[in-house]
Amino acid sequence: MSSSSKPSEPSKDSKSDSKTDSKSETQQPHLGLLEEDDEFEEFPVADWKDSETDLAHLGGAAPGAAKSGGDKLWEDNWDDDDIEDEFSVQLRSELEKTKSSSTDMEQ
Amino acid sequence: MDFATFITQLNDAIYHENGPNLAYLLRPTSPHGKDLVKGFRNPTRQSLSIYDGSMQAPWDEIAIHYVLVCTHVAKKRYIDAFKDESQLVTLFLRFFTENRGWTLPALFSILRDLRDLAIDVRFPFNLRKYSNQKTECMEESARVIAKAFGNCMTDRTSPPEQSRKWGVYYVVGLVLKSYFRIKRISLSKNILRALEANNDIPPLSAYPRSHQVTFRYYIGMLSFLNEEFAKSEEELTLAFYNCHLEAHGNQERILAYLIPLRILRGNLPSAELLKRFPVLQEIFSPFIAAIQVGDLSAYDKALERWESRLLELNLWLSLEKARELCVRGLFRRVWVVSGKATRIPITTFHAALRVSGQILECDEAECLLANQIYRNYIRGYISHEKQMVVLASTNTFPKVADIPQPLASL
Repeated sequence: MSSSSKPSEPSKDSKSDSKTDSKSETQQPHLGLLEEDDEFEEFPVADWKDSETDLAHLGGAAPGAAKSGGDKLWEDNWDDDDIEDEFSVQLRSELEKTKSSSTDMEQ
Repeated sequence: MDFATFITQLNDAIYHENGPNLAYLLRPTSPHGKDLVKGFRNPTRQSLSIYDGSMQAPWDEIAIHYVLVCTHVAKKRYIDAFKDESQLVTLFLRFFTENRGWTLPALFSILRDLRDLAIDVRFPFNLRKYSNQKTECMEESARVIAKAFGNCMTDRTSPPEQSRKWGVYYVVGLVLKSYFRIKRISLSKNILRALEANNDIPPLSAYPRSHQVTFRYYIGMLSFLNEEFAKSEEELTLAFYNCHLEAHGNQERILAYLIPLRILRGNLPSAELLKRFPVLQEIFSPFIAAIQVGDLSAYDKALERWESRLLELNLWLSLEKARELCVRGLFRRVWVVSGKATRIPITTFHAALRVSGQILECDEAECLLANQIYRNYIRGYISHEKQMVVLASTNTFPKVADIPQPLASL
């Protein structure tokens, strides 16, 4: 469509097209089933057993109890004291700086 | 199949109280529908009036309307098809209210067809006039379905196991689905009030799982949109865990709203869960990764990147609220880097916020800290004069999941 609207520069046009396409894709990935007008589907059967649901893996734990309560689908303990990444290094050096500047002020 | 055979089969299904067969006979997409259309060429209500009285009322008229619906569908006259199906349902309800629960499969089926025919109302040109007509059909179908709900509810004569009340939750699910479709969810209040007022129906857990899950999904969605997050989380959790594993699309829809709610109460979806739902993994994993390490700038980037889609899906607000968990993560890292000191100057937190891309005043950092303490994410207090945060020596940053009623204070 765009090449017909700008027939004078077809090659350039197709290039810019692919560029905008990839850009919009990175900004707003496709959500598949969550698109508008798509709704909760009719179930093909009326009833089913526990073993055909996510209750099956719980082994008696309460649904949504998280890993500590026996539900492997949810993680309730993610605090980690040993993160050593660029941010930690940056944070540490920044904190050193503020510490020394505040001691400077005190003196 | 000719009309005489059709009538005989209808009579048979009614005599044997065979609900599924009755449903099959009344479905416009069943093969005999095409046969009847061919047999009659261009039937009208007028030309079919010779069959009035061919069955016990209202079945003669139901059979006639069935032929008309099939004809309109074949000729792509969508509005006419809808109107005749609507009359068919109204006629069926007369029979329904005098019969027991064996009729429910047929009721469910014709109500679904009615709704589908309303959705099918479409035209080659996208003119405003036509789009209004479509909305009117959708609204009319919701009204008819709501009426059927009343007819299920008011069964006072059938023995309990054969009651029409076993249709209540399925039909409410269809009504709610219709209201969501036409974006008139405020209408749901009336029907839910009627449902609550009636306490002599069996408990929801006694109904087939398909009814339970659909109903809970819509209640969960309504509560979510009304920002009743605790209620929403409860309903969607039950909907998810009772959903059939093979209904992957439905599980995904439930999780799209359940995941942010679980995050808010300190339960991040595990890698194992997200692996099963790649679309959700793509949306939520940047937020989850940011919360896990307290990377506030990554969190904000994800919010910005997904902004328009999150707004469309009504998810933006909940993820914006979940940003507090990321702030908690960042402050916790400050505390770890500070050697888990019990006194940390506000300027230290201020500096950490700066490192993670937050340009704000020191007062604002103090405000963020106060908010964290208020939410019980941090145990301690702020000495404003000394510009110092005084932290509890034990359980300084409680597990979010352990905080009582985390969704109530949002």
